Amino acid sequence: MGVQKDRVKFNVGGRHFETTATTLAIAGRNSLFGAMFDENWDLDPTAAADEHFIDRNPDCFAVLLDLLRTGELYIPPNIPERLLHREALFYGLSDHLRAAKWGPFDGNTVRLSRSIPGRAPGDGTAIRAGPDGGCCVAHGSMVHVYDWAMEEHPPMNLDYQRVNDAVWADSNSIVLSACERLGRDDGGMGLFNASTGELKYKFHVTHDDQVKSFTGGALSLNSDYRLFGSCRGRSNEYGVGVWDQLSGKQVDFFYEPPGWSLGEADKLQWLHGANCLMVATLFPRKDNCYISLLDFRDKERMVWAWSDAGAPVGDERRVRDAIAMEECGSICVVNEYEDLGFMDLRRSGGAMRWRSRSPLMKGKMPDEPCYPKLALHQGQLFSSMNDTISVFCGPDWVLTSRLRNSYGGSICDFSIGGDRLFALHSEENVFDVWETRPPPIM
Amino acid sequence: MSSGPKKRNFQIEAFKHKVVVDPKYAEKTWKVLEDAIKEIYNHNASGLSFEELYRNAYNMVLHKFGERLYSGLVSTMTLHLQSMSKSIEAAQGASFLDELNAKWNDHNKALQMIRDILMYMDRTFIPSTHKTPVHELGLNLWRDHVIHNSKIQSRLLNTILELIQRERTGEVINRGLMRNIIKMLMDLGPSVYQEDFEKSFLQVSADFYRAESQEYIECCDCADYLKKAERRLNEEIDRVSHYLDTKTESKITNVVEKEMIANHKLRLIHMENSGLVKMLLDDKSEDLARMYNLFRRVSIGLSTIRDVMTSHIRDTGKQLVTDPEKSKNPVEFVETLLEKRDKYDKIISSAFSNDKTFQNALSSSFEYFINLNPRSPEYISLFVDDKLRKGLKGVKDDDVELILDKVMILFRYLQEKDVFEKYYKQHLAKRLLSGKTVSDDAERSLIVKLKTECGYQFTSKLEGMFTDMKTSQDTMQGFYAACGADLGNGPTLVVQVLTTGSWPTQSTNTCNLPAELSTLCEKFRSYYLGTHTGRRLTWQTNMGTADLRATFGEGHKYELNVSTYQMCVLMLFNNTEHLSYKEIEQATEIPSSDLKRCLQSLACVKGKNVLRKEPMSKDIGEDDAFSVNDSFTSKLRKVKIGTVVAQKESEPEKQETRQRVEEDRKPQIEAAIVRIMKSRRVLDHNNIIAEVTKQLQSRFLANPGEIKKRIESLIERDFLERDNEDRRLYRYLA
Repeated sequence: MGVQKDRVKFNVGGRHFETTATTLAIAGRNSLFGAMFDENWDLDPTAAADEHFIDRNPDCFAVLLDLLRTGELYIPPNIPERLLHREALFYGLSDHLRAAKWGPFDGNTVRLSRSIPGRAPGDGTAIRAGPDGGCCVAHGSMVHVYDWAMEEHPPMNLDYQRVNDAVWADSNSIVLSACERLGRDDGGMGLFNASTGELKYKFHVTHDDQVKSFTGGALSLNSDYRLFGSCRGRSNEYGVGVWDQLSGKQVDFFYEPPGWSLGEADKLQWLHGANCLMVATLFPRKDNCYISLLDFRDKERMVWAWSDAGAPVGDERRVRDAIAMEECGSICVVNEYEDLGFMDLRRSGGAMRWRSRSPLMKGKMPDEPCYPKLALHQGQLFSSMNDTISVFCGPDWVLTSRLRNSYGGSICDFSIGGDRLFALHSEENVFDVWETRPPPIM
Repeated sequence: MSSGPKKRNFQIEAFKHKVVVDPKYAEKTWKVLEDAIKEIYNHNASGLSFEELYRNAYNMVLHKFGERLYSGLVSTMTLHLQSMSKSIEAAQGASFLDELNAKWNDHNKALQMIRDILMYMDRTFIPSTHKTPVHELGLNLWRDHVIHNSKIQSRLLNTILELIQRERTGEVINRGLMRNIIKMLMDLGPSVYQEDFEKSFLQVSADFYRAESQEYIECCDCADYLKKAERRLNEEIDRVSHYLDTKTESKITNVVEKEMIANHKLRLIHMENSGLVKMLLDDKSEDLARMYNLFRRVSIGLSTIRDVMTSHIRDTGKQLVTDPEKSKNPVEFVETLLEKRDKYDKIISSAFSNDKTFQNALSSSFEYFINLNPRSPEYISLFVDDKLRKGLKGVKDDDVELILDKVMILFRYLQEKDVFEKYYKQHLAKRLLSGKTVSDDAERSLIVKLKTECGYQFTSKLEGMFTDMKTSQDTMQGFYAACGADLGNGPTLVVQVLTTGSWPTQSTNTCNLPAELSTLCEKFRSYYLGTHTGRRLTWQTNMGTADLRATFGEGHKYELNVSTYQMCVLMLFNNTEHLSYKEIEQATEIPSSDLKRCLQSLACVKGKNVLRKEPMSKDIGEDDAFSVNDSFTSKLRKVKIGTVVAQKESEPEKQETRQRVEEDRKPQIEAAIVRIMKSRRVLDHNNIIAEVTKQLQSRFLANPGEIKKRIESLIERDFLERDNEDRRLYRYLA
């Protein structure tokens, strides 16, 4: 038998380990092992006599070494997850750990991973998934931030005003919008550091060279670092503002046309292909629903618009949420009975095609109903109703899965991102984390 | 319990032992790291423990000293870079770049190692505080303290530019070093590369090439200049590929193109004795290709070449077609055209990479000048006639096709295709009737080509002619099979039955045939009408030929090949010695112009004068007298007596053909008008003219005046009417 050349010995916190350079190479250059055995450092990892000492917890090292060897994560019951995360961060193996915990998101295979109870009183406003598997939860005037390991970071607030919407600008920044306080420059919109909770800067609305105080509503971002926010000001500063996310400077403003609603929107969504912003103001915020597409290069008119104003009285089907689906060229809406409706995006003034699912819901209205919400993720359409999230797939949007957790009551908001789905409950102050397991080994 | 409750006071003491990290902890730890960084910069890292340094950096971040760690890093790295900068400044002359490169490599290596130690800070502290990551920080500091050092910045730029200048003058420089230095500038970010090098580089290059091109243009001819420009361009492309950013290639080539080509574009093209025209004349395809490739790079470069070439072709072509000398020989005329076209076709394919726009320019030029000469259609048809009569004898089928294809190209240039058709029909008729055509395949192949070019209509009559020839053969066989026995030993008659309309029949003045023949003809007539009912036969005596056996003087026997008219004249001399012009005219009733021509060829052509004329003169007069030339001799037994026919049409004939063409156009124009109006119902004058011209342009260029006349004629005949309100509108009347 030949002598194996690439053996490496470690002494971690007094315990001896042996592995191979090949196994350590899995960690990548951007890790402690990658740096340690780079030729710059002149360390010969395979010199038999040399034992490399590392002053860390040996139990965790064993788990992480096993992860490098097999690609699979197995955490013994005696090791708290938090400890393991800390050690992974030391070795530069956080990405490996995260990848081993959950795989690419698929609405049809997700499982409930855990439920996180919160401390805030009252109903939740919104939950937003971050790009790295973390999330933030808006409760009243506070926003709580959780990283991917569900560690809570310092909460953020905007002068303790009621938060209306939150959006992740990048993996480390969150933009909040909040109500204004009369006569003062409180509230509005601000960008926060997600890990420290510090306010970095505010987004101002300037009208005739004067900074105005305003109430920030729904938010959206596009890939050019443009931030869109629905604004309700003192006098006539109703509309949608546009800011440069990196500098915080206001770059544009779309004023609300008469007889329409933009400044109190429930939802903004940037359409990358069409280079337009969808603005939806819905019942019950207003008596009527208004959905429109704005092209900021032409502020004289709206590119596409739909409203149920003037619809026959007695039609109970009021739109409660809307989502634009660019790939299908349509806008999908949902009413309080969870009927889905579709409208053609390519021509304005088209009719709504409802797809009734009401029989499913007959007589099952819970005590504290929540309005349905919609989300779209890689060709899968999600709709929440009471304590259940339905998954629809395919060109005809067939119902393929239902996600339900018996604890916590109705779902008031949910969000998909970082390969996870977060669902916020309204009765108990708790949110669920749903994720897809890594693919099986065999 | 008896004892009273004893009050006990619990006092909770404040937690006194607040955990305090050693106040000097941060400074101590940082000192370790700072010393390590120093050792790294001194190439003395082997004594360092990576694990210890990593752990120290980790601990500093963990214990909230990230800020101290980061600011320490900035200041210590700045210090090291400043000392590096000093040693680079001190480098003398040529070693400057070497020193810079060496220090850059050192810094890069150190930076990598520092980043390894501070990896934890880089991953956690820096993103959450939005600071510049370690690697980028290292590059920025290098940029600020070394590259933008006032004593280095301009020296670096000048050194690089000077080396490039030396390479341009032929010196060999250290390209590897250049590549490293330029790579460094690129690593520092596109703005550094552009601001600190590329901008000046382009500027200096422009100056250099401006001066050089000025020098060259004064002393070189066009071809040499282009060679030099091409070499320079390739050198620059080569330079970019060796040590500059690939994005620079388009910029520097733009500079060379602008300074060397675009600025001297016109002067180069029009250079006397070596410019474009001279190259075209001398078929310098290599130089032309070079010119094409270089000019293609500059705006409107190619169009300039194309324009000059076009006007050159037009001018020379115009000279060619209007040269009266050339027009004398139609075959030569067309051959010259074909040569010219071949020449430019070759130039375009070999030098101008078969550029479509150049091909179009060539076509339009030919179209322009070929139609300057109204006789071009006739000449082209004559050329084909010549080829199909004799020119193609012994030529392989493929080559025949080649010649015909070329002719077709010329044909395409013609505007008056119907004129060509007229002549072609005449010439084809002559070839067919006189049996002179060399190859049936070649004839048919050309017809097929014409058909694909102009459609079925254009060739239907030509095809009819071929059918007639074939049918006539069958008819003659049938005739001799049926009546052969009755005919005895008389003359042999061969009749070609021509369908009226398909053939270019002229005046139908039948002459008096000799008695032997007229009886034979009558027999054929009765046979033919007996087999085909409802037809009428008219004799075209002006188009036939005859073979005669004649005996002269002391029994010299010859076989004479003559036309029908000549045969009629000669047969008269079987019975008498002398005949006057008047007597001949009376006996034969041949139209006088034809008779004169036929007598001329019998009596006035040297070596073939079977008749003698009184008085002896070139021309035939009304009072001349003729007798058999008993002293006629010939080396050959078979004598062909041609008719004196002008191969080219004479002026009056030309007028006549012209008139017939105009006459034929009328119904075509009318048909086109009706077709258009039928679909459009209402149309204004200008649009009708435009559409009619468009519909007919595959056959001829309709004259607007003529179209107007046709419209008026159609209005008279109630096909159209003028609109009552707008007089410019016409309506179609169903």
